[in-house]
Amino acid sequence: MPDPGEKRRDGITLTAVEPKDGTMSCRIFISHGRLQTVASRGPGLVKECAFIVPQILSAPTCIFEGLRWEEDEDRWGYGWRCYCGLPTQAFRRDGTSISPHTGRVYLVFVNDEAVAYNWRWENADPDNLKLPLNHEIRFKQRLL
Amino acid sequence: MNHMTASEFAEHMARLAESAEPFKPTATYDKDGDCIEFLASPEPFYAERIDDLVTVYYSLETNEIIGSLIKGVSRFRKNLDENLPGWVIEIIDGRVQIVHIFRAHVWQSNPDPASLRGVTYRKLIKVAEESGVEAQLCAVS
Repeated sequence: MPDPGEKRRDGITLTAVEPKDGTMSCRIFISHGRLQTVASRGPGLVKECAFIVPQILSAPTCIFEGLRWEEDEDRWGYGWRCYCGLPTQAFRRDGTSISPHTGRVYLVFVNDEAVAYNWRWENADPDNLKLPLNHEIRFKQRLL
Repeated sequence: MNHMTASEFAEHMARLAESAEPFKPTATYDKDGDCIEFLASPEPFYAERIDDLVTVYYSLETNEIIGSLIKGVSRFRKNLDENLPGWVIEIIDGRVQIVHIFRAHVWQSNPDPASLRGVTYRKLIKVAEESGVEAQLCAVS
């Protein structure tokens, strides 16, 4: 639920790859409200956020821009990015570390204000296990 | 705003988790993504998009549906208010049971019940109904 009292810039930033030049010069914001929501989701999802999200932002296998969500190209157009990568570990529900999930990639979605608002495992493209399934039709362009 | 290294961020998350309330099924509106994230079980998941509105979350351990992401909430609500005005009776103080959002979308988009999408929506509606979770809707502009 939205928290009317939350300041928009109340949160933290993490270092991320800037796709234009490949340097570690990009800063991605995550709101405190989002982190608090994740913090109550049990050890597995907390550790995904704690360990996998920073890894994907700093060492992605690819970055896409422009999320193709139908009928709303203005709002969901250029500037929205998806960082994609292969984590070095995954987590069980109880938070124990396991090998990463074969055939899946981890995606971090970032809006046009450099705010990361969603992250998750998704199926990989069977022809290139470093890319998400259907990447050709989901994104407008690949930046990295 | 506080910049953190990866290790600082991991410690920050551990601290937040220590003081967090126990998990309960939730549907959270995120204005940064203009999306509602519904989660019925506290476990890692993978996601599959089923149409332009909904991405379904499946447990990585059981492959059962445990949640979803509803995208473009502002546009969706505006569309519903215009084309299915009776649905507003389900909104009380800006809140609505998440299951009503799925039902409203299904009744509008009319998926083939025998299709994978139709079957998936039936399962998702069941999970949402059992959870009894409400979501706060964004204001209509």
